[in-house]
Amino acid sequence: MSKGLHMREVTMYYAEGNNRITALDHVSISVEPGEFVAVVGPSGSGKSTFLSIAGAMLKASEGDIQLNGNHISKLTEKELSNIRLQEVGFIMQSSNLVPYLNVLDQLLVVKRMAGTVKKEDKAFATKLLEELGLGLKLKSFPEELSGGEKQRTAIARSLMNNPNIILADEPTASLDTKRAHEVVSLIAQEVKSRQKAAIMVTHDERMLEYCDKVYRMYDGGMSLAKS
Amino acid sequence: MFLAMKELMHSKMKFLMIIIIFVLMAWLVFILSGLGNGLSTLAASTFKTMKADYVIFEEGAQSSMSKSLLSDQLVAKAEQLPNVDAASPMGSTMATAMKETSTKNEDKVDIAIIGINPGSFLEPAIVEGENLSSENPTGVVVNSTLKDEGYNIGDTFQLDGTTESLTIIGFVENQTYNHVASVFTPMAEWRKIAFAAPGSDKGIAGPVNAIMLQGENIDPEAINKELSSTDTVTRSEAVQGMPGYKEENGTILMMLAFLLAISAFVLGVFFYVITMQKTNQFGIMKAIGASNRFLGKAIISQVFVLSLTSIVVGILLTYGTAAIMPKGMPFKLETSLVFNYSIILLVIAMLSSLVSVRKITKIDPLKALGRVE
Repeated sequence: MSKGLHMREVTMYYAEGNNRITALDHVSISVEPGEFVAVVGPSGSGKSTFLSIAGAMLKASEGDIQLNGNHISKLTEKELSNIRLQEVGFIMQSSNLVPYLNVLDQLLVVKRMAGTVKKEDKAFATKLLEELGLGLKLKSFPEELSGGEKQRTAIARSLMNNPNIILADEPTASLDTKRAHEVVSLIAQEVKSRQKAAIMVTHDERMLEYCDKVYRMYDGGMSLAKS
Repeated sequence: MFLAMKELMHSKMKFLMIIIIFVLMAWLVFILSGLGNGLSTLAASTFKTMKADYVIFEEGAQSSMSKSLLSDQLVAKAEQLPNVDAASPMGSTMATAMKETSTKNEDKVDIAIIGINPGSFLEPAIVEGENLSSENPTGVVVNSTLKDEGYNIGDTFQLDGTTESLTIIGFVENQTYNHVASVFTPMAEWRKIAFAAPGSDKGIAGPVNAIMLQGENIDPEAINKELSSTDTVTRSEAVQGMPGYKEENGTILMMLAFLLAISAFVLGVFFYVITMQKTNQFGIMKAIGASNRFLGKAIISQVFVLSLTSIVVGILLTYGTAAIMPKGMPFKLETSLVFNYSIILLVIAMLSSLVSVRKITKIDPLKALGRVE
């Protein structure tokens, strides 16, 4: 069983009218635990499709995808949802928090989805948030947080279920340079210390210094640009 | 429940408005059902509370007392028939009670004179005074609402348009017929009043309107065959046959049915719109691993909490309304009725939320990606 994320010859087609659009063209990538990888490329290059497939939200047309040893290409909708819950931590654009949950509940709801919330879970969530500098904001609602705080909450949420894969979708999209650096360095730090396999999709070239490898996407194809 | 309650607490205003609408609908449902119940009690409680199972009418009477005329000789014959435990005649006629010879408005009261055999199973239990007796044909047992009109035990009243006068010897409760108070008289006295005009009894010996039967396993067909020119129906059919009864109840029932159907749609649309607003949120939660079951449960438990709260408030308001209603209003709440309509409302709300649950299962977790709010 191989840990981390491994994609081999993954291809994705979309039907658009009579045409067949190739969104991903034989993409292969391997991310080991403790590795922080960036995927960059212009819009329309297939980054979103790539992330959706890596995050078990979309099924590829062809190819094999392994998430922490699970071959996800043949799983049902329900099993995929469970894989997302257990194996994948998502950090989304502009954090996408649930508006009526406070910071602590944002994390605990992940545990709720998996079953019940235990005392340890609450302690773990509190510790995680304190580590990320949100110790004083546990009871705040998203509307009361700054952009950076929201994104840090999202990072904490992605780590809550102790997943092996972390996927970040443009995590710096709505942040200024200083905050963006803070957030990405925080992700890098957590990835290293917790030994997660992490992929960040971004078009923000300033953030690449934190990453171990950089892949570039162009018209559905993917190539290693820096390692 | 977790998500449901957190959201309820966070957006109190939004949910309060839904609760207000639901409460108003529940309130209206309960009031209408109470009115319907009150009206049908007023129209036929004497008939409904009688300990009879079947009724023999004259053939062609359409189960209506006022169209039926039989001879009381049939009573003895009916008693001999299989499965008939007891039989007793009954007659009814409408009249106006008048204090002495007064012509003042408030001294005239509409009443229904019900003729029965004293001591038979048709005689209602009195709450005050004495039972009917054949020795005292003008002594009558009346509904307690006549007390509000100023009548007491021992009072004598004149029947408008006749020379008969009756004396109250006892009171009964909840005995109304054709929307007016019932006055029970012995059969002989009823005949005097009902057939005062010569020939109005069509020459029938010992005329009665109907014969009430006791016996759970009675076969109406068999009785019709044995007794010529008769038509036997169940007691509830006889209630339906009362003039205006079906029409009155039908109106209320139709209003209730429409109200429930409208409630289903209004609530369903509300819940649906709220769910649609949250499509993005649900997408995010699906992306981080929430199952359809988890989100569906959140919606259903939220609708359950909202519905239960609204129904309870609606019930309280209804009892409050009942307490301040004028006494003469035909409004009668029964616990079983309130309970039944509560369950119906709850079921309707839950069913209408299923549309929203269905919507959730179709939300794509991809919604969470690449969307800036």
